[in-house]
Amino acid sequence: MRRREFVSRSAAVASTSLFGFEALADTLARQVTSPSDQINVGVIGPGSRGKFMMRQFLRVPGVRIAALCDVYEPRFEEGRAITGEDTPAFRDHRRMLDSGLDLDAVIVASPLSLHAEHAVAALERGLHVYGEKAMAYTVEGCDAIAEAVRTSGRRFQTGFQYRYAPWCQQAVRRIREGEIGRVTHVYGYWHRNYNWRRAVPDPSLERLINWRLYREFSGGLLAELGSHQVDIANWIFGEMPESVIGTGDVTFYPDGRETYDNIQAVFKYPSGGTHVFSSIIGNHKVGYQVNVYGTGGTIELTLESGAFFYEPARADSAVPEEMVESGVNTSATLSVRGDMPYRGRGRPIEVTPEEAGDPNLIASASFIDALRSDQRPFADEQVGWESAVTVALGNRAIRGERHVEFSDHLRPGE
Amino acid sequence: MVAGMSGNATLSDPHPASDSLYHETRSAMGTDVEVYLYAPSATRAAVLMEAVFAEIERVEAALSTYRAHSELSRINRSAGATSVTTDPETFGLLRRALAFSAASGGAFDITVGPLVRAWGFSRGEGRLPTPEELAEARSATGWRHVLLDDVHRAVRFGIPGLQLDLGGVGKGWALDSAAGVLRDHGVTTALIGAGRSSYYALGAPPRTEGWLVAVPDPTKPGQVLSTVRLRDGSLSTSGNSEKYFDLGGRRYSHIIDPRTGEPSEGTLQVTVTAASATVSDALSTTLFVLGPAEAAELIGRTHGAAALLVADGRGNHQIIPIHWTATVNAPGG
Repeated sequence: MRRREFVSRSAAVASTSLFGFEALADTLARQVTSPSDQINVGVIGPGSRGKFMMRQFLRVPGVRIAALCDVYEPRFEEGRAITGEDTPAFRDHRRMLDSGLDLDAVIVASPLSLHAEHAVAALERGLHVYGEKAMAYTVEGCDAIAEAVRTSGRRFQTGFQYRYAPWCQQAVRRIREGEIGRVTHVYGYWHRNYNWRRAVPDPSLERLINWRLYREFSGGLLAELGSHQVDIANWIFGEMPESVIGTGDVTFYPDGRETYDNIQAVFKYPSGGTHVFSSIIGNHKVGYQVNVYGTGGTIELTLESGAFFYEPARADSAVPEEMVESGVNTSATLSVRGDMPYRGRGRPIEVTPEEAGDPNLIASASFIDALRSDQRPFADEQVGWESAVTVALGNRAIRGERHVEFSDHLRPGE
Repeated sequence: MVAGMSGNATLSDPHPASDSLYHETRSAMGTDVEVYLYAPSATRAAVLMEAVFAEIERVEAALSTYRAHSELSRINRSAGATSVTTDPETFGLLRRALAFSAASGGAFDITVGPLVRAWGFSRGEGRLPTPEELAEARSATGWRHVLLDDVHRAVRFGIPGLQLDLGGVGKGWALDSAAGVLRDHGVTTALIGAGRSSYYALGAPPRTEGWLVAVPDPTKPGQVLSTVRLRDGSLSTSGNSEKYFDLGGRRYSHIIDPRTGEPSEGTLQVTVTAASATVSDALSTTLFVLGPAEAAELIGRTHGAAALLVADGRGNHQIIPIHWTATVNAPGG
């Protein structure tokens, strides 16, 4: 699709909704038949996540993966196996962007430290960007992307697909409606039992393939895993934290890696909320969870579901006075029931068949819908900026500063 | 079903002496998936295991009808009402599944689900459906009603109620994909199995001609009917020894003949070897339905495939090898 035609046609398409799942239904129901309606997408970094997102985008009508870019050439054939065609491939992202392939948008799925360079280069050339999380490695990188979005007038969607998950959207809506009272704490976990290593064909490729383990490229567990919980906490509290304390260590896999294999961070929010996050990759017991604690109940969110749990009723109503006559019985038994963990299923969040779907696909379809309808994505550059900055400053605490005040690192008004 | 790793020292050994055999079993695709592979260290083996199981999980997450978020579930939810664009892998697999249907005259059919449910085999041990139930299930079945649009890579159902189930081919596809991942990682010797019914062999263990896979005798529990040395190929077995019901002197198998809507009869077990697990998986179910005569004809048309059928011949069992070169032990009574 030619860019100028695209903008004029986009303006004519009525917006559907801000929310992902509704946009999905609309986008997927709209059968795009004209080749001129095709949206050409380039992929910077078709590694494991990049390839996963390529499959999602190829499920959206009218999307073609038109170019691939990676410094590791075996990814070219792997990417072509997914597109099913002889997709042009490049070692240098600038060559891809300047190739004249008529790209409309770019998926940036490169290592975290390269996100800013890759996203800014694409935006400056007038391309829309789906940027994998986190938005960028540093506060300066996040600023650069946000600025490039402003000056280019192009769209940026950050890769927080759970913003589009129907059960997460419903949970946030019901929190806003007060269903679990005043939300004070979010406890986020992402625990695994796996060394986080990828197979390396040759030792010379160690840092390239296992970039997640090296600080030059990677924000470690807080960026690659915890940024989802960080984003959900920011979403729930409706603001960014003001401070963070953190720690971490290489406890399980002392194999030369530089990023910690377990981290803990506590984020404090201006309105009084707290997010406690833990990621441990030597024990799987709790898996992925986001537990949202309110004065009236709890919400437990997982990667594919959610459930509500309600606190017991308190002495907020009058009761019959028979007991004044009958008295009470004494006992030597101390009941521990009130302090045992609740082990029931709770009340699951119901998702209708119309809403249901893989959040990755909903996020991809919503991005394409945002381009076609010329609407701001729900998980836009502001969402991406706030959560990526939270991660960047969280990592300062985890990696040695221990306690970080956000105001020391952000310009007034940011 | 894996009989052992020993064998004749007839082939050169591609492995350094330090390579060891590693094994891991995990739950996936509603069964146990097991992986044997040679690697130079436990650390390397762990990384390879992670990669291969991640690939199986990826395929299952896309194709399982038990997962609401799978691509196939999305197609099943929407393709009755609208045309559903899907990714090239899913589209290609659907195209292949329909090609199997065409090649087998409908004996293989990914829309057979309503009939399986009508006969009670989707959850329980089976039951006789009423004529009305059977008629309703038949009306919501038929591979010819799956309409593929190559231009838009889209799927649409031509009749209401149609539902796709890749159970007859999905495990094989997952094994082939997993083998591809191991190959990409430079692994030359591995065996991957799903639920002991399908195996894919990559290379051969050191000093052997192939991975030993034993085909059980369905009439004599614990006895082996034939032993195959599998190398760069796959083997799949379908049988009715585990799921069936008897009524009025008839044995109703859980494998439904999509052409008639009735449980297939006359076959006890089918084992197929083929170049890929996708083909052996699909063929084993298909030959079970087709029976010996048509099975021989279909195997003859499938390059590199062989089969070993055990037919129920009213009191005496018949062993029918089709291009089957491995030794077959004396048939059970």
